[in-house]
Amino acid sequence: MVFLKEGLCPGLTEEFIQNMRTKNIRTVEDLVSSDTEELAQKCSVSYNVLVAVRRVLLAQHTAFPVSGADLYEELLSCTAILSTGNASLDKLLDTGLYTGELTELVGTPGSGKTQVCFGVAANLSCRLKQSVLYIDSSGGLSATRLFEMTKAKTSSMEEQMEALQRIEVAQVFDVFSLLECLHNLKSGGFQQVSAGGGTLKAVIVDSVTTVLSHILGGKQTDGLSLIMQVAGELRTIAKDLNVAVLLTNHVTRDGNGILKAGLGLSWSHVPRTRILLECMEKSGSAYSGLRTATLIKSSRQQCNLIQDFDLNSWCETEVELPGPSGKRKLVDEDPHQA
Amino acid sequence: MQRALSSFSFAPAVKVRLINAGFHSAADLSDFRPAQLSKEAGISQEEAEDVLQAVQSEPSQGRAVASRLTALDLLEREQALGSIVTFCSDLDCVLGGGVPVGKTMEICGAPGVGKTQLCIQLAVDVQIPVCFGGLGGQAVYIDTEGGFFVQRAADLAQAAVDHCSLLAEDAEQREALKEFTVETILSNLFLFRCHDYVELLAEIYLLPNFLAQHPEVRLVVIDSIASPFRRDFEDLFERTRLLSGLALRLFKMAVQHSTAVVLTNQMTTKIVNGQSKLVPALGESWGHAAAQRLILHWEGQQRLASLCKSPTYKEATVPYQITGDGFRDVARPCLPGPSSDPPASALGNARKRPRLEEDVRETSLRSTPEPVLSAASSFHTTVLSWSRTGGSRRGHFLCCSSRQTVGETQGDHE
Amino acid sequence: MSHRHSSSAESGAQLLARLEGRRSLENIEPLLFPKDSGPVNGDVVEFHGGEGTGKTEALYHLVARCILPEASGGLEAEVAFVDTDYHLDTLRLVAVLERRLPAGSEDAVRASLARLYVVHCGSGAQLLLTLHYLEGMFCSRPSLSALVLDSVSAFYWVDRANGGESLALQEANLRKCTKVLERLLRERGAMVFATVQAVMRKYESEGPVGSLSRGRQAPARADLSKVYLCRAWQGIVTHRLYFSKDDAADGKRIFSVASSCSRTKSAGRCSFHVTDGGIQFL
Repeated sequence: MVFLKEGLCPGLTEEFIQNMRTKNIRTVEDLVSSDTEELAQKCSVSYNVLVAVRRVLLAQHTAFPVSGADLYEELLSCTAILSTGNASLDKLLDTGLYTGELTELVGTPGSGKTQVCFGVAANLSCRLKQSVLYIDSSGGLSATRLFEMTKAKTSSMEEQMEALQRIEVAQVFDVFSLLECLHNLKSGGFQQVSAGGGTLKAVIVDSVTTVLSHILGGKQTDGLSLIMQVAGELRTIAKDLNVAVLLTNHVTRDGNGILKAGLGLSWSHVPRTRILLECMEKSGSAYSGLRTATLIKSSRQQCNLIQDFDLNSWCETEVELPGPSGKRKLVDEDPHQA
Repeated sequence: MQRALSSFSFAPAVKVRLINAGFHSAADLSDFRPAQLSKEAGISQEEAEDVLQAVQSEPSQGRAVASRLTALDLLEREQALGSIVTFCSDLDCVLGGGVPVGKTMEICGAPGVGKTQLCIQLAVDVQIPVCFGGLGGQAVYIDTEGGFFVQRAADLAQAAVDHCSLLAEDAEQREALKEFTVETILSNLFLFRCHDYVELLAEIYLLPNFLAQHPEVRLVVIDSIASPFRRDFEDLFERTRLLSGLALRLFKMAVQHSTAVVLTNQMTTKIVNGQSKLVPALGESWGHAAAQRLILHWEGQQRLASLCKSPTYKEATVPYQITGDGFRDVARPCLPGPSSDPPASALGNARKRPRLEEDVRETSLRSTPEPVLSAASSFHTTVLSWSRTGGSRRGHFLCCSSRQTVGETQGDHE
Repeated sequence: MSHRHSSSAESGAQLLARLEGRRSLENIEPLLFPKDSGPVNGDVVEFHGGEGTGKTEALYHLVARCILPEASGGLEAEVAFVDTDYHLDTLRLVAVLERRLPAGSEDAVRASLARLYVVHCGSGAQLLLTLHYLEGMFCSRPSLSALVLDSVSAFYWVDRANGGESLALQEANLRKCTKVLERLLRERGAMVFATVQAVMRKYESEGPVGSLSRGRQAPARADLSKVYLCRAWQGIVTHRLYFSKDDAADGKRIFSVASSCSRTKSAGRCSFHVTDGGIQFL
């Protein structure tokens, strides 16, 4: 993980490093993994110095254990459930998008994935007054449509403008710029400049597949490595920044014509919750806004729950949501009883 | 934590060497010089320089701030970029004013339904001067099927010029008309021919350079994306990969060079539950490629355009026709049966239609609804026969080389 | 740390842990393992299965059993949980705990959770360093009896790409981790539960990678049981649980587990439902 360099910790002198190098110890892992006693003899370094250096380096670079009780405490105090603005979807998601988790929307072209993303973004920025980062890698982002949705939620021009300002947009054209964008986000690039009030509560990536699918396949493992890195970054962001991550993914058909999420087996483990969107099969209304959403992966609810909803619901003025999910709701004692 | 080196876009071999030399994150390279790194990691001096440059441009917080974009900025950009009118007011209405600049759009349809006609129409319309409410841009036309006829483009250009002359009211518009002639229209239309997918991919790779030199280009047409990719492919996975890479490039081009990217695609037959159905070619995953998808199809004698995927507007179906002057509205009084009452089986959107009819009267710069019906119907057959001839149109094209500018352009790029 | 030196500087607690041995988890869940072959200290249990086959649920079931107080049928043992996928769903774990505890015992939940130590790892190298660190922790805390790795396969693809052409380099990281684990098992008497995500299908003829992304010629019931982690890892695994799911007609999904133990050469099979409060054996 870390190349041995002077000044990394006290006692790590240039001479010491050169000495280590002759024994092919170049990184912190090498040093930590080697037998300290043997190494001390071989390099004729003081055993005590070596043990001290090892201990400091290990302490610097390990991940620290956190007690589960503290973790739970933290979770209770800062997990938020963000309403999508659509009662049917909220029902599938067990009241909304959970911060700290990855939720994936899959569907065929034109099944409404992008529209749901818009709806969620508009709802978060306009009603819940939170910031959203929208990463567009498919060219599907339409500010005109977002504007229309905010207009449906508030009639005040000022509020509409503020809501749009709370949605930050990043357009990425390849997997490396996506990784860079995520890395910047992780290292605080967003927080520093977050304008328009509100904290970052959601990251939307529409779609992960467009930047990842063409690097997959063949005999190269490089593509899969990048996919897993994207997955890792997204999960870290979700946890560390405590945001909800909403992804869209394409579908493929297996041998029996059953739809499944794209990007292969390795990716299938990545999202916590997965919803399949499909156009409703009804003759005469092939191009209506009606869709069915099926919960195909969840750790909270029975899978295969099905809900019908209308994509246009986000554009209707004043959507009255049943229940208390209209406002940001903190998780109370037991979110599972719901 | 520092960004991992494996997430940078270095060559895999360079990455492997760096990582095996013990470098894992950008921070590990922080105070290395190229010569030193080249020695440490066993990579060439140039590679080491590239690596260090890429890594040191990192913590790019500064850059991130500079390129910060909110939805509000994007809205302003979308409004400033505008859209290209199609001269069919119904369709413009459905598309919110025309084909939006800065986005990708796919036009699918069976042979002869008018895909190429619409493309040529757009290539002409993108050039309408700003004072007439147009964009005053240029167009790039990549022809892979040999379906582009310069004579046809000249006809549409003439019709557009005539139409604008009728509208000219003030001095500015009259002045602009001097510059808006068939000759200038054709000279601002850059034609590229590609014969197979390799040429097409190469062209798309090189196109950003061309667009950088021609910043006025507001429209890139690829007519069609399907034909080079529907032959010569054994490995369909390979095709899917190439196409999804291509889709990303087109999206990038649309955004970075502020152009509309219009692709045409063919239709193919698919058996769904024992019934055969016409669906756009190139497979289901290609359906994600363009942000918008317009399907042109026949309903009896009537041509219909269905917007079936759009991030901005509702799906809708409208009738259109192709006249001697180009892509036009269907004249209202003669509205044929199938489209006036929305049939159950049609792709019609009943809700949409009443509003459309009101809007038609308000929009300026719309086609004069006076198509000569007899001319139009005779034209149908012409169009059909054109697309049936298929094959190489090079001969045809050279015959028309009196339209020298387009000919020259083609010469430049072949 | 070399064992020679750590033992020479052993504290009283460490000595006790070494002599007394860690708390045995043999009866942690007899149903899940082959008859009379429950995992004992020094064993490694691998949870293998595709997405949504109940691995995580089973893991939470075992973790809950470890950390629950004895009064509620637990073993009151401490668990270190290495979360490489950022996958741990604490809320879900709490739901499982609550189902086992008497109603309204929020404090008992917290007390149980206090026996769980969670470590998040973001890279293979960090995992290695963390395991070294945990070695020290196991040494000083005799009540720590199990180590959970969720999942060992998280960095598999990244490691593979980083290793380039050389198989040895591709596997280097996991091999090094395995070495630390081996020491942890042998000298500290720890027990390891590790999940392995099925990311490869078993094909008779062709290699795993090419066919992975879009399994077109995949058989109707894809066999995901392919073993793909490095030989060193396979060498330390003593119990293997292979998870799969069947769609039952009444909408309730049945998950089944095929278990095998290399020590006693025995095998078993069981199935369970997943309910709001955790798994329920059939």
